[in-house]
Amino acid sequence: MYFAGVDIGSTMTKVALMDRSGNLLSTIKGPTGPEHRQLANEVMRQALEQAGLRIEEMSYIVATGYGRLNVPFADRQITELSCHARGVSSLFPNVRTAIDIGGQDAKCMKIDKGRLTTFAMNDKCAAGTGRFLEVTATTLDIRLEDMGDIASKATKKIQISNLCTIFAQQEVVALLSRGEALENIVAGLHDALASRVAVLARRLGIEPDLVLTGGVAKNNGMVKAMKESLGCQLLVPEEPLLTGALGAAILAKEVYLKAVTEGEDLPAKSRRLEKATFFG
Amino acid sequence: MSWFIGIDIGSAHSKGVMIKDFELVASHVIISGANYRTSAEVIRAELVRQVNLSQGDIANTVATGAGADNVYFASQRASDIVCTARGINKAFPQARTVIDVASQSSRVIRLSGEGKVVNFTVSEKCAGGSGRFIEVIANVLRIDLSDFGALSARSKTSITFSTGCAVFGESEAITRISEGVSKEDIAAGVNKALASKISSLVKKLKLEEPCAICGGGALSNALVNTIEGELNTTLLVPPNPQLITALGAALIAATSATMEVEHRS
Repeated sequence: MYFAGVDIGSTMTKVALMDRSGNLLSTIKGPTGPEHRQLANEVMRQALEQAGLRIEEMSYIVATGYGRLNVPFADRQITELSCHARGVSSLFPNVRTAIDIGGQDAKCMKIDKGRLTTFAMNDKCAAGTGRFLEVTATTLDIRLEDMGDIASKATKKIQISNLCTIFAQQEVVALLSRGEALENIVAGLHDALASRVAVLARRLGIEPDLVLTGGVAKNNGMVKAMKESLGCQLLVPEEPLLTGALGAAILAKEVYLKAVTEGEDLPAKSRRLEKATFFG
Repeated sequence: MSWFIGIDIGSAHSKGVMIKDFELVASHVIISGANYRTSAEVIRAELVRQVNLSQGDIANTVATGAGADNVYFASQRASDIVCTARGINKAFPQARTVIDVASQSSRVIRLSGEGKVVNFTVSEKCAGGSGRFIEVIANVLRIDLSDFGALSARSKTSITFSTGCAVFGESEAITRISEGVSKEDIAAGVNKALASKISSLVKKLKLEEPCAICGGGALSNALVNTIEGELNTTLLVPPNPQLITALGAALIAATSATMEVEHRS
């Protein structure tokens, strides 16, 4: 009896495989790319290979994330909010607030006993998401993954006055040409994003324990900036990208086991790893 | 000494207008570039050249716009809101609302019967709510900015962008191109998104008719038509909509110089 969670995010596709006792058998991440319908099966194939399993052995598969409708081999789709809440709680049982900053949105979730109670989300303005750093990194000709290290060398933070990502691009170029140091500008960019996400989190009310996830949580500079903006401690999982897939796998296991205990018949799905042929 | 200059240094373009007897006699528009001081000098030199004058013949210069501080030869700075109101009142004395679609933000100003500013609202500096959105998508579509309006006018079914953000809109446009959506329908979608942001700004202030539109965005007929549809009104469009704020500055230059003369006598 094996379970899988597939999280198709805007930037990365993540898969977690789990046995019936909740042990993680394999986790894998791959870039989503424009062809995410074709990629889900590829990432799944790799995850199965890593765990030494075959697709036919999977009892239940939950798909989540914004591309969740494009996973033809999944049994069920569950929103990323529920999956994140579940995944984060499994790692940090005392979590009350979780912030997930991805490449295309930022979500703040209030969690009570492992369940999502309320949430606030920004998917309307790039300036409050990981995209802000992605775009400005390109403008500054530095790699996104180097931003945190660069910011750690800052001697001061330069305030970025433009809220809009597009205008911030012009601003950082102007700052560079004025002779401001790159590290000070990058530190300012981290601060700008952190303060925007903090506004979203405060709207919801922050209660400890507070956990930060999503690709942006892999950036130490952002973790530091978020701590400063929120004025409180922040927990970060070892694999901040995987909480959605992890939660999806846990929910797959729970849904399946509940159905089995209640004697309910889950329709047997003949699974084949194939590309989705329609756009969900 | 009856020549007056108004210079409007915007973030994208710098505009200059020269008036004599309260009528426009010369105008010039350039890209603002990195040095606003130089832009201001270039504009003054060109305005003077157009009417065969020398710098000394200019009675007064007023500066406005984001870079107004750089117009070192101006006798005073005026707020862009006041200048836009003044300029539109000259073009359309009957206008009671004016929409200014600029490169970084959009503004809506309510005017009294005498053309004075009653109230105004300015959008946040958001590329999705300003002319910049059109620039961003024109770049993705690899079309000239000046062709954007005509292109979108040919659209049969415009797309609907899922957010108003220009950064997300850029990715969305790329996805749509790869799905085979026509450039025309994407361009029309941009106008629709922008028009909806601008009209909600107008509604915040309450539309009082007649309503005029100016700024670089008003150069696009397609955008103007889409805003007209959103607001269910007919917009008054001046012949050189991007010059209205500079014109207002020139009018203020003329008025304050006249007042000074009266004060002395």
